[in-house]
Amino acid sequence: MTILEERPQFAFEAHEASLMEIVPGPRPHGIVKFVTSTDHKQIGLNYLFTGLAGFLVAGLMALVMRTQLIVPNNHFVTENVYNEMFTIHGTLMLFVFAGPFAFAGFGNYLVPLMIGAPDMAFPRFNNLSYWLYLGGFSLLLAGFLTNNGAAQFGWFGYAPLTEAIHSPGPGADLWIVGIGLTGFSGIFTAVNIITTVFTLRAPGMVMFRMPIFVWNILVTMFLILLAFPVLTAAMALLWIDRHLGGNFYNANKGGQPILWQNLFWFFGHPEVYIIALPYFGVATEILATMSRKPVFGYKGMIAATLSIGALAMGVWAHHMYTTGAVLLPFFAAMSLLIAVPTGIKFFNWIGTMWRGTIVLNTAMLFCLGFLAMFLFGGITGVILAQPVLDFQLHNTYFVVAHFHYVLIGAVMAGFGGLYYWLPKMTGRKLSEKWGKLGFALLFIGFNLTFFPQHDLGLRGMPRRIETYNAGMGWNFLNELSSIGAYITAIGVLVNAWNIFTSWRHGEIAGDNPWDGQTLEWACSSPPPDHNFEALPPIRSERPVWDANHPDMLTKVGH
Amino acid sequence: MCCSAMHQLTGLLATNFGSPSGVTTQDHYTRELWRLSGYFSVPIGLIVLGLITFAIVRYRHRPGEDRKPAQFQYHIPIEATYTIIPLVIVAVIFGFMYNAENHVDKVSAKPAVAITVDGFQWGWRFVYPNGHVQIGTADYNNINNNNDLPVLVLPSNETVQLHVVSLDVVHTFYVKEFLFNRDLIPGINNTFDINVTKPGLYPGQCNNICGEYHAYMRFLVDVMTPTQYAAWYANQPACSITTAGVPGIQKGSCAAINAGADFTGYTQAPKG
Repeated sequence: MTILEERPQFAFEAHEASLMEIVPGPRPHGIVKFVTSTDHKQIGLNYLFTGLAGFLVAGLMALVMRTQLIVPNNHFVTENVYNEMFTIHGTLMLFVFAGPFAFAGFGNYLVPLMIGAPDMAFPRFNNLSYWLYLGGFSLLLAGFLTNNGAAQFGWFGYAPLTEAIHSPGPGADLWIVGIGLTGFSGIFTAVNIITTVFTLRAPGMVMFRMPIFVWNILVTMFLILLAFPVLTAAMALLWIDRHLGGNFYNANKGGQPILWQNLFWFFGHPEVYIIALPYFGVATEILATMSRKPVFGYKGMIAATLSIGALAMGVWAHHMYTTGAVLLPFFAAMSLLIAVPTGIKFFNWIGTMWRGTIVLNTAMLFCLGFLAMFLFGGITGVILAQPVLDFQLHNTYFVVAHFHYVLIGAVMAGFGGLYYWLPKMTGRKLSEKWGKLGFALLFIGFNLTFFPQHDLGLRGMPRRIETYNAGMGWNFLNELSSIGAYITAIGVLVNAWNIFTSWRHGEIAGDNPWDGQTLEWACSSPPPDHNFEALPPIRSERPVWDANHPDMLTKVGH
Repeated sequence: MCCSAMHQLTGLLATNFGSPSGVTTQDHYTRELWRLSGYFSVPIGLIVLGLITFAIVRYRHRPGEDRKPAQFQYHIPIEATYTIIPLVIVAVIFGFMYNAENHVDKVSAKPAVAITVDGFQWGWRFVYPNGHVQIGTADYNNINNNNDLPVLVLPSNETVQLHVVSLDVVHTFYVKEFLFNRDLIPGINNTFDINVTKPGLYPGQCNNICGEYHAYMRFLVDVMTPTQYAAWYANQPACSITTAGVPGIQKGSCAAINAGADFTGYTQAPKG
């Protein structure tokens, strides 16, 4: 307490990028910069916008699916095209958009800035990660150019449907290699960020002064190191089965198809938290800044993140309750327990808002959208964690609704992150008017699409069916859901238009447009090469706030 | 349309929290658990949403206002409370779940009827103890056509044991009214018991993506009273085949049918 009060006041202002003078000559820009840059900020932007491209492509596929399902017995697309759509939709959303957008996009851009580092620990390695990722994305799409079409077995591709005899052709192979490349990209990013966080923190930035976002990314990176290699191994075994006469997943020759499910979900459930944890971090940063308060229960928040990470490694078989081949009570107990640290986070977020002065701008609205949708997805998660209820709801639209609420909740926080950090990245604010309209359309659209799907699941509609019988009582709810999807699409276009126009014509943001708290707001917008020339003293987890508001330091005790 | 929406609304407000009724004895445990989850999750959800709404209304920044945000960070008693209470709730849910699971998953040593359910791309084959086989065909051009679906005939109020076997890829046996799914996985033997209390005709469907015509892999469950069932069963000669309710010609030997070796006439080519 005394240290905080007695430290010398830091007078800080925007610094020009005088590091430019050290390396004379023209700076690369445009396509050359995009291809060659090892700057974490450029690579972060590459990830963010490649991820958004994946989101748009996968979103179009969702529109095809919803159009096919809008009426029963529809023949808008063929069975195979429909199967391609949901397979590549899921694969792109998870491996190209939702995960990398946050842990590699925001992670790359923000982690060095937030810990006061000049760049990542291995900048060229970072560049390689991005190109592996873009390669993976391209191969996943390339499946559509092959004679048998893209993969058609769902994003978790259960063996033996994925074996050469059931899924012939290069589409499935491109799926395997595409996911493998994004997997390697993730592993390399994890190595890079973990090293960066452990070795490149600025003086004074001890672990317990790192922003929650950095903590969440750190835990995510460890989850990647534990989970992604298992996925890559599972994919390699599948490749051997398909091309080298292996029988790992072939029951007729003594292999075990269930092995695939265990390996895949051993990756697949940590993957859910690999996706979600960075968005929790994004939401935490926005909530604290927009409430103008420190994160409530900072250390409890970190403990919750660590326990989510630990529990995430022991819940994979809750995807396999109906296989009859897993120990139900163990996985049920572990899965239910995850509700506890997740609940802690919710109450910490509420505590962060409590008695603050909350600025309800677009970034904050997206954050509140995240809270509402993730809350609902979490509650249905507790229902599905119980094997007996999962026996009823497994693979129905109830599950589809559940995980879309969870993931779209997370993605809502991600869009909030764009509205929050793009001013730092581009130097210009996004339009609040278009932003609020975009948020309203997305929030209404998402809920209208996915809320009716809970009831569809209770009424027995299985996921991944290309069409349905008119007499099942599913017609009206499917119609609603499809209309919701079209509204969502308009919302996406509004937000895309906002980003596109604000990039050149937006209001100039300045260094610290939101009265931010963490170190990224201490450098110019956009930050210069190698980020900082001087840092404010780091005496708490919000050094910029301390420097700007010496009269409003964190109150110690309670 | 309006009535459908009204129906959903009243359904949601009823004590079952929107869950449909099942027709088996296990249904009781599933719905008890669903209701219990509702009792916890609805109030918790409302409390959390309420707190968020209160915070953003009460503490929002108003233009021209000069209120300073509080700068507290920890409150150990409150933090401990919202850690411990959820732990207790989770433990209670787990206890009830464990009890329900033991009832739902119980497999009888002496079931009244034991039937083998074979799933394949893209259809079902129900093999009775005497070798009688029920099969069907799917109309890949018109999913509204229910006429040729395979029919699983069961007695009501008896313990029926289903042994589910996949003949190719992973499928899932799913009947909405049974509130139950069980996977058919090559290399894994799955057996479960059901006891249907209400006679009737129920739609069933494969619930795991299994290739091109996954959506068409449907079947019907015809639950008869025990007397009706006994009469029906007595009429099925050993190793006979019934396609979509119409008796057919036996193909291959009894042993070959039971082993799934003779597939002539079972696999379903697309119509038209």
